[in-house]
Amino acid sequence: MKAPATASWRAPLKFRMPTTENLVPIRLDIEVDGQRYKDSFTWNPYDPDSEVVMFAKRTVKDLKLAPSFIPQIVQSIQSQLADFRSYEGQDMYAGDKIVPIKLDLRVNHTVIRDQFLWDLNNFESDPEEFARTLCEDLGIEDPEVGPAIAFAIREQLYEIAIQNVNAARENRISKKGRRGAEYFPPSKAGSAALDLMKLFSFRSSVVRKRKEWDYYKPAVDLLSNEDLYALEAKEEWLRNA
Amino acid sequence: MENNTRHDPNPDFTRPEEPELDLYTIPSHSSWFSWNDIHETERLALKEFFEGTSISRTPKIYKEYRDFIINKYREDPSHRLNFTEIRKCLVGDVTLLRKVFCFLENWGLINFVAPPRPREGSQNDIKVRVEDGAPNGVRVVADPSSLRPLSAPVVKEKSSDSGFGEGGVKLPPLASYSDVFGDLKRLRCGNCGDKCDSEYYEYYKDNFIVCVKCFKSGNYGENKSVDDFKLKDCSGNTVTTGAVWTEEETLLLLESVLRHGDNWDLVARDVQTKSKLDCITKLVELPFGGSLIDSINGRATSSGPTTNLNGAKPVPVPSSEHQENIRNEDQGQNLGHGITNENEQNGDSENQEPPLKKKRTAPAPDADSSLMKQVALISTMVGPQITAAAAEAAVTVLSDEMVDDDEDSEMKERSSPSETQEMSPEKNDVPLPLRIRAAVATGLGAAAAHSKLLADQEEREIEHLVATIIEAQFKKLHSKIKHCEEAEQLMEKEYAAIEEIKEYILEERLNILQRTYGAGIPKSREQGAVQSQTGA
Repeated sequence: MKAPATASWRAPLKFRMPTTENLVPIRLDIEVDGQRYKDSFTWNPYDPDSEVVMFAKRTVKDLKLAPSFIPQIVQSIQSQLADFRSYEGQDMYAGDKIVPIKLDLRVNHTVIRDQFLWDLNNFESDPEEFARTLCEDLGIEDPEVGPAIAFAIREQLYEIAIQNVNAARENRISKKGRRGAEYFPPSKAGSAALDLMKLFSFRSSVVRKRKEWDYYKPAVDLLSNEDLYALEAKEEWLRNA
Repeated sequence: MENNTRHDPNPDFTRPEEPELDLYTIPSHSSWFSWNDIHETERLALKEFFEGTSISRTPKIYKEYRDFIINKYREDPSHRLNFTEIRKCLVGDVTLLRKVFCFLENWGLINFVAPPRPREGSQNDIKVRVEDGAPNGVRVVADPSSLRPLSAPVVKEKSSDSGFGEGGVKLPPLASYSDVFGDLKRLRCGNCGDKCDSEYYEYYKDNFIVCVKCFKSGNYGENKSVDDFKLKDCSGNTVTTGAVWTEEETLLLLESVLRHGDNWDLVARDVQTKSKLDCITKLVELPFGGSLIDSINGRATSSGPTTNLNGAKPVPVPSSEHQENIRNEDQGQNLGHGITNENEQNGDSENQEPPLKKKRTAPAPDADSSLMKQVALISTMVGPQITAAAAEAAVTVLSDEMVDDDEDSEMKERSSPSETQEMSPEKNDVPLPLRIRAAVATGLGAAAAHSKLLADQEEREIEHLVATIIEAQFKKLHSKIKHCEEAEQLMEKEYAAIEEIKEYILEERLNILQRTYGAGIPKSREQGAVQSQTGA
């Protein structure tokens, strides 16, 4: 599954994760008999389905969960994989597409907020590598933060890719019967895309104004135990409400 | 931006409009860098900016990214700039920005004098991996042939080698060493000390070897489990290393060679126990093997004396040389025989030096035998027809020479330019010195003929190339002329069009003037007003 080196802007791309590795973000949140299991990870859609069962069994064993979790986990992963596969083979978008990615997540004691631009045509992109650099540069010690950031990026990219597929389909239907409607203007192919003409026009500079720097700067907070407790209680309350 | 305080990194690229220059250190391999230009290195490493695939990736944007990142670093060179710091200031795909950043960092354009990343320091603990066992290129094989006794030092070295294997750091044997002496190595069982000829077990961790006998009886030493041993079969390697030949096999080989000639498939089938390559190796190895092949092939007409001399003087050549010969023969069929002869000769005098490199020049022909070989070698280098022609001419010259024997000395000088000397088998009654001289002359003549042929070929080649060049030049000129003609036509057309316009304008002007005069004062007054307006 080698990514194409340079995406030609004319031909519409077939659906896939717009990253080097075509990995599906999988999120699990399962509750059985008062026991709750939350997890997120990436999955290679080309792996055989038997792996899912193996994975579920092993996870349940490792985490000492009740055996009734196994079918739930398998079912959840498989339905998410099926979702992903249902988009495969469909046109995604054509033309330039740079989207803002916003991060706002908490992993254990670390809260991180960040935003940056991501080029959906750049199949050299690697969320995991990006997250690793970010943690290294910011001196984040918690080893769970990096994977969580990478996962959050993947989830958003996946979301945008799905939006694009839908937009491309609508576009095709509305232009049915008209030939030569190959190019979808970015504004129609997804609301999140930026106006590239404005950002990269010949006159404007790609260097941001100083006052904007803080918006695009990652902000990291370390929560104390009390904060964490309060936050978790609040989340719990919100969930139950 | 705040770029007005930027300075040039390199004294070579000083910018005259900046009076004060700060010196920045960049590595010498990055001296291609220039603020005003984008270098080929950058174009190659960051192709996406120069392919024009997107408006977000243009050379201009690249230059902005680059300049900003470098400037940012130079605000405080002692501070290590990281990607997250510059990312917030630049508009663009983070993956792409990261690529640019890494590129600049790798070339030392940024972070060159900054302290290394703290984490790198702690991770870079010195870890040296000592590789055990022989490297991939080395194959440990059994003693190939019992023809020649192994020299004592080599065996000693080998045994001591496996002796201290468990102890200190052991360097893997050099690949070249085993290339040269590979077949002189004798594998010995680490347990009972016996030779391991066909099969043995090798211990994974080092070169410890156990013979099949000891392995089966469980004597493979302490601290080692059965699983750590790997069965090695060296009988499979015999293709390259040769094998032990029994008397019967040798006899079979000779018989079948006499019967089938150089049809090695048939020979190998007759011998049964040995492969095709083994048979060839063995035959060449035999003292008279080369001559046997020659007589079978009937290849070189002048190899008669060589055969005799070879046969008369058996050459005890070590097996390694012969394998080398075989390889050479495989590689270059055209020179095969010649090299075989030559290497035999080398092996004669210099047993200690395996002929890894082919020597095209043999030692000075001091003895009759080597002289003859020399001649045979030279004459086999050219085709049979040439040698035959040389032989024919040689016969006539020789008969002339027989008539007046006293001109012998002059003959020698005369004969070499005439390219015609040979000693033919039917002239066996000719005295030996004459035979030798004639043979030498044949060799020289054949060589001369050969070189003439080569020269001719070279000349033809050159002619051909020159012709190609001329043709190409002609084509170039032709297309240039065509281009010029086209341009001229265009110019003419344009000229005609301009002329037309000129005429039209003139007419128009006349028209206007006429109308102005025809209309009288009001128009002219208006025109005057306009003129005065523009004048004011």
